[in-house]
Amino acid sequence: MINELLVQFAEWLYATGGSRAIEESYYMYNWIETTHVLTVMLSLGMLVFIDLRMLGLAMPGVSATNIADRLNIPMMVGFGIMFITGLLLFYAKPTYTINSIWFRVKMVLLLVAFVNAIMFHKRMKASVGSWEHERKAPRHLQISAALSLGLWAGVVTTGRLIAYDWYHCYKELSPFMNWAAGCVAD
Amino acid sequence: MELLPLFSWAETSFLGYIGKTYGGVYATFGQSVHLMALAVLGGSVLVTDLRLLGVIMKDVPSTVVADQAHKWFKISLVAIMATGIFMAAAVAERMYYSDFFWAKMSALLVGIIFVFAIKRPLLKGNHNEIQPWLLKLVAVASITIWFSVAATGRWIGFS
Repeated sequence: MINELLVQFAEWLYATGGSRAIEESYYMYNWIETTHVLTVMLSLGMLVFIDLRMLGLAMPGVSATNIADRLNIPMMVGFGIMFITGLLLFYAKPTYTINSIWFRVKMVLLLVAFVNAIMFHKRMKASVGSWEHERKAPRHLQISAALSLGLWAGVVTTGRLIAYDWYHCYKELSPFMNWAAGCVAD
Repeated sequence: MELLPLFSWAETSFLGYIGKTYGGVYATFGQSVHLMALAVLGGSVLVTDLRLLGVIMKDVPSTVVADQAHKWFKISLVAIMATGIFMAAAVAERMYYSDFFWAKMSALLVGIIFVFAIKRPLLKGNHNEIQPWLLKLVAVASITIWFSVAATGRWIGFS
């Protein structure tokens, strides 16, 4: 039921003029994708340094909460740009993307990474002052930081794999992969 | 010097064979790790340059930021080059005829020379003794160069 609705929604998006205009414009589509990819330098670049600081692997002499606070704004600007360009990329190829197993896994990983980031910030704020000048953050924050790095590595990997149609609905798929890709009978 | 034979050989090499034959290995160990390394490299460049521009971490000495970020810059540069060679080997002859590939290689060479011959030697010293306009100029040049490297790299895939 959900997959039918998603596919219908994707087909509706595909039929809109904006979607066709972006996909059919060589420069527009490619520059949106380039911006999406290049912004990892800002968003994930800042995130990596926050997480590495928590693990004691970068700037150990600088207050950990200071780094998290100072890098948070440019990181969020980066994620904002990635979100907008990501929406536009989906808008340009909705019917292909909605049935990409990689896109679906990426969305799940994004959701988990988002929840992990919120919990990380809550825990960090709750324990601030007691450890911020120590080389490493407390164990639970280190685990969150390591999880964050792992989840974002997964987001980057699945994001890159969206371009590959190895498990798309028009291929011969096992029942599980058919379900995971959300394939709908014609 | 004629480079085409080198590119033809790369495509038939072990790396070229792996990349050509196993799409999953090419996409994950090549492209995805290349992107992750780009994120770390970009982060190390931006953390330093935005600090030099006075945008972030103004209360942390820029020397500390530059020194720490440079360590991760070197690690990510090695990862980017290793995965880049792996990816290029699989499609070496196509790369040889790609203008964007040569644009990226040129930008990368400029970036490496800029970092190791200009930026790093300059930032190793006391930043208080360097003219603020010079620090800002280096930061803007650095951001421009490394975004050019990344952008031309992405456009290899579109060409």
